Formats: sequence, C-alpha cells, structure tokens
Amino acid sequence: MANANTNNTEAEHVSFDSEAAHVISSAVECHGDDDDVGALHDVVKGLPSHAVKDLLSVGVCTRCILRLFGIRGNIYSISAISPSILNSVIGEQRHDEDISSNSKESEFEEVLCALCLGILQFTYCDNKEIPVKKGSASDMAVAISELVKQEGYQIDSFSLEVSVPPIILENENSVRLYMKRKYGTEPWFQGGPFSQSISAKDALKFSLAKPLETLLDCKSGISNFRIRLTFSHKASKVVQSVAVSKQGCKRIKTGNSVDSLDDSVAGDIKCSDLADATVERSFDGLQDNESSECFKFPLQKVNDACHLVLLCQRTPIYFGGRYLKYSRNVSQTRWIIDDERMGEASVEEIIGSNIQPLCQGDNYKFHAAGREDIDVRMLGSGRPFLVEVQNARRIPSEAFVREIETNINNLENKLVGVKNLKVVGIEGWTMMREGEAEKQKQYAALVWISHPLEDVDLDSISSLKDMKILQGTPIRVLHRRSPLQREKIIHWLEPYHYDEN
Amino acid sequence: MKDHSVDHTINLEHEQEQEQDSLHRILVPDVRDLPLTPPSAIESNFVSYFAPDFTKPGHDQYVYRHANGLCVIGLARTHVAFKDTSGITAVDFNVGKSDRSGIKVTGKRKKNAQHFESNSALCKVNTDDASYIVRCCVKGSLLEVNDRLIKQPGLLNSSADREGYIAIIMPKPADWLKVKGSLLGLEEYKKLREC
Repeated sequence: MANANTNNTEAEHVSFDSEAAHVISSAVECHGDDDDVGALHDVVKGLPSHAVKDLLSVGVCTRCILRLFGIRGNIYSISAISPSILNSVIGEQRHDEDISSNSKESEFEEVLCALCLGILQFTYCDNKEIPVKKGSASDMAVAISELVKQEGYQIDSFSLEVSVPPIILENENSVRLYMKRKYGTEPWFQGGPFSQSISAKDALKFSLAKPLETLLDCKSGISNFRIRLTFSHKASKVVQSVAVSKQGCKRIKTGNSVDSLDDSVAGDIKCSDLADATVERSFDGLQDNESSECFKFPLQKVNDACHLVLLCQRTPIYFGGRYLKYSRNVSQTRWIIDDERMGEASVEEIIGSNIQPLCQGDNYKFHAAGREDIDVRMLGSGRPFLVEVQNARRIPSEAFVREIETNINNLENKLVGVKNLKVVGIEGWTMMREGEAEKQKQYAALVWISHPLEDVDLDSISSLKDMKILQGTPIRVLHRRSPLQREKIIHWLEPYHYDEN
Repeated sequence: MKDHSVDHTINLEHEQEQEQDSLHRILVPDVRDLPLTPPSAIESNFVSYFAPDFTKPGHDQYVYRHANGLCVIGLARTHVAFKDTSGITAVDFNVGKSDRSGIKVTGKRKKNAQHFESNSALCKVNTDDASYIVRCCVKGSLLEVNDRLIKQPGLLNSSADREGYIAIIMPKPADWLKVKGSLLGLEEYKKLREC
C-alpha cells in the first residue's frame, strides 16, 4: 500500500493529505477576501481530480464537493466558488458556464445540486412559493438581516440554527458509500478525508456566519436570539422511508407504500431531529461489503428547490420582583367566569401590561410563589413573582426597569405595588422555589372581643412563643384537599389594642 | 473625614421605620370606621338553610352550605332538645349500622366516605330526660363528624351553630338541587319560628 505522503510523479494525481487541508484552511481564515480566493485555489489543487470529476458528473455542487472532503474555514462564504474553480483540478473547460472565476453569473448554476438540493447554492423557495436564487452567502445574509431589522430586534449576539431535510443525509451516505467502494483502495482515501466531511448544516452556517456578523454588528455563538433556517422539500409522493442493507435494516414508512431509496426524492418532509437520528443510526451499521438491495447510485435528479422558512425569535426573558396587593377586590391572576370578570382587576394584568409593551414582546406569562384569595391583601415584604416575556424585541436597561417599577407604583388606583423589579436569568426560578419553600408567613387579623381586655390579657397573648397547633383542613378547601390534621407552629403573636372611645 | 457609612445606616434605618409606619397605617384601620359587631364567619362564608320539624316535630336542624358545595349540619337554636333545662348532656355517634365517629375519610377524592340518605341517622343527643336522633337532612357523602362532641357535649349548648356542629356532608350537585326546595331560607325560618 503506497504511503500517502510519498512523492508521486504523476502531475495530475497529487496525493491528498487531509492534514494538509487543515493547515491550509487555518491559513485561509486569517486572510482577507483576495487571499481567500488564492488559498482556495491552493486547496482545490490538492484534491484528487478524478474523484472530483466523478462527483461533478453525478450532479454534486462545488461547495458540497469541498465539504465532503472536509475542507474547513471561511471559504464557504467566498462568492467566487463556482464549478470553474475546480477546472484547475480537473483540467477541463465547461462549455455551458462562464469561465471567469470572479463573475457572479457563474453562480447561477442551472442544475440544483443532487446532494444539498440547492441549499448550499443559496437557492430556495420562500413562503410565497417564489423561487429565490441568492448569488452568494452575503446576499442571503442580507435577506436574513432585513428580517431581523424589520422586526425591530435589538441584539448583542445571535445563534444560527439550520435544519435540513433528512434526504440530504441519506444522499450523503449514498455518496460516501459509493466513493468508498470506488476509491477506497487509493492512497488519498486512506487519509480518511471523507470521514471528516462537514455536514450541509455546518457548511451553510460557516457561509452565513461572517457576513451576518458584519450586517448585524454582533457576534454569532450562544445567544438568547435565535435565527432559525428550516429547509423542507416537497415531492409528489408522501413517502418517507429509509431502507438500508440487509443487516441492521430500518424501515420507516408513512403513507401506503414503502419505496426504496432510488424511488424517493423525498416526502413532504420537514426535517425532524428524530428522522435525522434514525437515518444516522441506520447507517451506522453499514459495512464495506454489504450488498444493499435498496441502495442506488447515482442520485435522483432534483427539480425543485427546498422550501425555506426563516424564523427569528428570542428566548423568553424574565422579570423578577415582589408584589404587594392593597385591594380586597383584585385577584392574583386574570379571573373570568361566563365572560364576566371577577374582581376589579388582577395583579397579573397590572404588572404584565406594564412590562410587555416596553419589551415589545409577543406575550407574557405571570408566575407567583404561592397565592392569596381575591379578598385578602398582600402586604409587608410582598410575594415573589416572575413575569416571562416571549419574543421580546428589546430588553430594557436597568434604568428603564426602575422606571417601570415607579410607573406601576404610581398608578392612580393604587391597587398593586412592586418592589425590587429587575431582569433575571435562571436564578429567577431559584428565587421562586425559595419563595415557595419559605413557609413562615405573617398574618394580620382584626379581632372583636366581647369583654374588656386588660393588660394581663394582652401579655398572655404576646407571651406565647412557638406554640404548636393541629390545624384541621378548613371547610373552605375541604372539597379538594385531604381531611387531615396538619401541625402548624405559631411563632409569635403581637396584639395591638385599640383604646375604647 | 466624614463617616459616610454611618449616614447610610441611619438612612436605611429611617427607611425601614417609614416602611413599618406605612404598613401599620394600612393594617390598622380607623376604629370609627368599624362596625360594633362584624359579620359572622357563617354569614360571610355560608348560605343558611333550615329543616324545621325534620321527621319529627320540634326537630329543627340547620344546613349551612359553603360556596364549594359542602354542607355543615347541626342543631338549630329552636331544636326541642334545648328546651330541656339540663341542656344536652351526651352525644353518641353509634347509631344505625355503624359508629359514625369511627369513619376515617382520606384523600382528595374522599372515595371511602360513606353515602347516606337525608333521613339517615348521624347521632343521638341526650338530655337528662330524653334523647333525640339527629339526621343528615341532605343526601351525600359523610366527610366528617364532630367527634369533639363526645368529650365536650356542652359545645352544643354554647355554640350549636359553630363549634357544636354535628357533621359535614358533601352532596352531589343533582342531589342538592333535589333537597334544596324542601329547606327554608333564613328569613322564612325566622318568620316560621317567630324568633
């Protein structure tokens, strides 16, 4: 077996070392656009020409070829990726394409890639079913950033998520199996380039990340703002089946027929993680010598581009604090029976309606640590609560949040008060759990005594400390709680005696 | 150099004092605004119904129904047992087929509660001279009997409508509607008994 690193005298057939590709790719990331193109040429020269030619003939697009070979880095966002670039490797002129490597028109390949279904060619159908061809990753990034700005999101980071139809994974596995069978014995294959292929998802993310960072003026990474691209592929048959080799065969069928790989382009599939995982699992057991009755190569021709749904969403943000209820006619949450509101207002609505619009959120949810009846006031330190705002377009600053608190506390009707309002993260839920667990509560009650009270009476009341009582289930809740005697402790009693007039 | 920490502490204490004061003001209403006697817990939380002469003349019982459907059963003030000068001296729950005080109802659904008819016996109350049977008045599941009455039958004499209640029954909505018509409201009962 020839060592992959030994010199090869044949000029065209240069041995491909996957390690070299990595070295080159990391160099590519440091340079600007022009250098990128130059570095790209270098990388491309290192590819095995006959394999590349083979893939091109089968209908695989340029970016897919590069990612199959595991080439990483910024090169995916370079506009100048066209089949003509690969010409230097395969040494052929393509008659029906513009040869100039800088011409954007060469990007408009007539044929959709059989592997990525046009996704890495930035070709898709939008929600109005109109086919869209973006010349480059940058153009696609512009479309995305327009949506973000249109909605009015204020962001300091973003996270890019892509989901693709499962058929792509199936196609990739077919291609890899085919390549392994045909070129498995060749020296360049031994380096294992195909085992380091980049998924279509990742390749698209690599393409879009940098231009988006520039357009949105912030970094991509872990963020509470998610940009989700969901690609799906329609076909006339509603079939989703994966039938692999005889051993470890997995068949999933929807619809009435079970078709093999060669018949199905794809069903009316929205990519799901479950489908992906199943497909991956079913190919895990693929062995070299398996004769797959259902596997077929070359791949089916693709006539329709994928349908793209672009979704921007922020994960929920939380406001925490404590509320006070001064009224005996205000319920904690919105309470409506037979279209009639119970009580004058609700704590939930008073607080929520003062927070949500200032965040320009879609919705809000109110969570409180415990509850009290409508005709009971909440005083003292107040009850902990959280307001969850969905899909906020902007997150208010500290000063702004203080303003919200002041606004609520200065409402004319003085039904509800708020303390310590602030934006909280995960620690908000810990605060709520603590609030619920904190069982010591203070109550105030007005008591009428039928006979005059002496000081000695008051003393005997206030001298009671940590008195244990057995409380039977109150009739008020007896219909829905177990009839039990529950031990309670009265820690202290502080009487306040009115003078008689 | 001025010690700002002292100032800060004083301000904080002052703030807390202010908070305590305003809390006090909210909690403690003006005496002049208060009624001499507040509405009773029964008035505030229950609707009062009465079953006069239930199965026997003079056997007046009350049914206090809570908004959640539970009914508290007891002896009305005009019950013939109270006419006896000795008052009530003993209460015995061992009537009918079982000792009602022995039933233990558990769980939210109260599945093991016994079902009784409106004329089922709940207990027997004794005076020096006689004894009287107290009945359910309402068909439903018996959730609880007031077993304090066993040791403290005097509760019936002092507060038959509160601490001296006899039992708590949970009727099905349909059963309540059926019996409701045969009961008197507070005003009707007062007129009837002229009290």
